[in-house]
Amino acid sequence: MMNIHQRASARRNALLMTAATVLLLIWVFPLLWATVVSLKSESEVLAYPPNLIFKPVFQNYQDAIFGDFSILDSLLTSVIVATTTTLLTIVLAVPAAYAFARLKLPARRTLGFYTLATQMVPPVGLVIPYFLILNKLQWLDTYQGMIVVYLTFSLPFAIWLLVSYMEDIPFEMEEAALLDKASRLQTMWYVIIPQVRGGIAVTVIFVFLNAWNEFLFAVQLGGNTVRPVTVAMYNFVSVEQTLWAKLAAAALVAMLPVVIIGIAAQKQIVKGLTVGAVKGGGRR
Amino acid sequence: MTQAGRVTLRGINKRFGSFTALKNVDLDIKPEEFFALLGPSGSGKTTTLRMIAGLETPDEGVIEIAGKDVTFAPPGDRDIAMVFQNYALYPHMTVRENIAFPLKMEKVPAKEIEPRVVDAAKKVDIDHLLHRRPGQLSGGQQQRCALARAIVRQPKLFLLDEPLSNLDAQLRLQTRVELKKLQRSLNVTAIYVTHDQEEAMTLADRMAVFFNGEIMQIGTPDEVFNRPDSIAVAAFIGSPPMNLLPAQLDGSQLKVEGRTIELDRKPTATPMAVTMGIRPSHIRIDADGIPARLYLSENMGESVLLNLYIGEHLVKVRANENVSLDDGDIVPITFDVNAIHLFDAQTGIRIEN
Ligand SMILES: Nc1ncnc2c1ncn2[C@@H]1O[C@H](COP(=O)(O)OP(=O)(O)OP(=O)(O)O)[C@@H](O)[C@H]1O
Ligand SMILES: [Mg+2]
Repeated sequence: MMNIHQRASARRNALLMTAATVLLLIWVFPLLWATVVSLKSESEVLAYPPNLIFKPVFQNYQDAIFGDFSILDSLLTSVIVATTTTLLTIVLAVPAAYAFARLKLPARRTLGFYTLATQMVPPVGLVIPYFLILNKLQWLDTYQGMIVVYLTFSLPFAIWLLVSYMEDIPFEMEEAALLDKASRLQTMWYVIIPQVRGGIAVTVIFVFLNAWNEFLFAVQLGGNTVRPVTVAMYNFVSVEQTLWAKLAAAALVAMLPVVIIGIAAQKQIVKGLTVGAVKGGGRR
Repeated sequence: MTQAGRVTLRGINKRFGSFTALKNVDLDIKPEEFFALLGPSGSGKTTTLRMIAGLETPDEGVIEIAGKDVTFAPPGDRDIAMVFQNYALYPHMTVRENIAFPLKMEKVPAKEIEPRVVDAAKKVDIDHLLHRRPGQLSGGQQQRCALARAIVRQPKLFLLDEPLSNLDAQLRLQTRVELKKLQRSLNVTAIYVTHDQEEAMTLADRMAVFFNGEIMQIGTPDEVFNRPDSIAVAAFIGSPPMNLLPAQLDGSQLKVEGRTIELDRKPTATPMAVTMGIRPSHIRIDADGIPARLYLSENMGESVLLNLYIGEHLVKVRANENVSLDDGDIVPITFDVNAIHLFDAQTGIRIEN
């Protein structure tokens, strides 16, 4: 027999599961729809009411990847831009966050403000200044130009995120390392970084996702040499017609790397997110 | 005489902002001594220890270790091991890796590391736990792991900041004994911070008593217990500490609570106001004594602690025999004359004979 408490918790579980299922369905619906669309022929896509039963074709994927508007090159561009941005961000943000978390720097307090400010400015407002700057540098439509622009967003964000993880590590742990003749860098490498692995994984995902998904700056500051997949997909949309099925196929292909990274880092992410949550996470 | 393990502090002052944490601290700790820093919370013990470790720098003064000025030397150059109150074990490393870390940083050849780690672990009885992580150890085992990490490098100076305070009472007593044994067998200097006077009394060869950032007394446990330098120390040492009563001293006559006690000595030439100190175990129940009213009696197991009021002054008396008394009873008491301590009422300083 169940007692009252067990029954109450069973009911709560049922409610939670229902809520989670509903939310998941809302989230997954567009994905399912896109998948269905990507498997139809262009004419069938426009049929109304939509046919739920049809013969799936894979032509769209072939066209999106190898066709006239192949997204293959731009996928490579996206990989280069997003990966380089992520790597540079982590390499620079980890030591910077360590310094901000531990050293008594005068700029410490302004960091939080600067971070928030960069997240509050509407990106549209920055397009023109960045365009002019890159133009002066002759960095328009170059990898370095694109990556530097992305770094201006990702670095403050990553530092801010990592500082909150590093502040949770007790001071004594580093002092113990210092007494044991470890240098600052060794302390960071052996003592600090292994303990913020979860936080680094979370940061990597956020930064990579943002760089991968970015469209506005890519379309304005990129061009022919540097044309990430988000921009390339736009080729399927034109004034005369929109190739919905190919667009859907391209979008699904473009999502793959992100999904793969997500699955690979799942364990670390969950750990990173829950550690932050349990300890209160944010900055004190 | 060898200097290794000697620690000297001279005229140390330390301020945090406008707050003075340490005032003119002088210490001379001898090689192989077990030295305790004792004092109430916030009195500056940890600050002193961290200064010796190099984790803080003094505003004024000189710190010497093994005869060398290290006032501004970084922690790693001082050849010190420290055990932190919360142990500061690295949670992502196994016990083995934790203990090996100092050796790794010292670039000890890899094949020498393992035997030394096992050796250190054996000394504190955790050699069967080397594969575990700190999170999988009990509090006592974590404490031993921290000790092993401290001894593995074989430094001459150990700093311990309340290393037993996170253990339960029984384990604390047991570990206390083993800690002292360990220090003896390693022939090292140990500086030990505690606010537990029993720990300081039992462990230390000598100790310094801190109050408000100042050292009030340095001495052996016997000296501090039996000849407290000042009212402050007298009121802190002993559980319960000694009773303190206002009195008037005139030659060998001590007037207290309307009675005159004839001392066996003549401490001062001129009459003066004093504070008289007497330990609870040096007061007897005696029909001819000063009448006192029983406020509460506390059963301590082996003895009974009587809380008495003489006038408005609370006096604690340790009675060994089975006294059957009720609250409110009048209990006459006398003081053991040769156990009376005298302090200048104005300055609080001990009056010697
Ligand atoms: N970094 C700091 N900044 C400001 N004040 C400090 C700092 N470190 C210590 N203090 C102050 O200095 C005084 C002495 O501190 P300390 O930690 O040495 O005390 P303690 O004797 O070890 O006490 P406890 O038994 O509670 O550990 C305290 O009043 C403390 O608030
Ligand atoms: Mg302390």
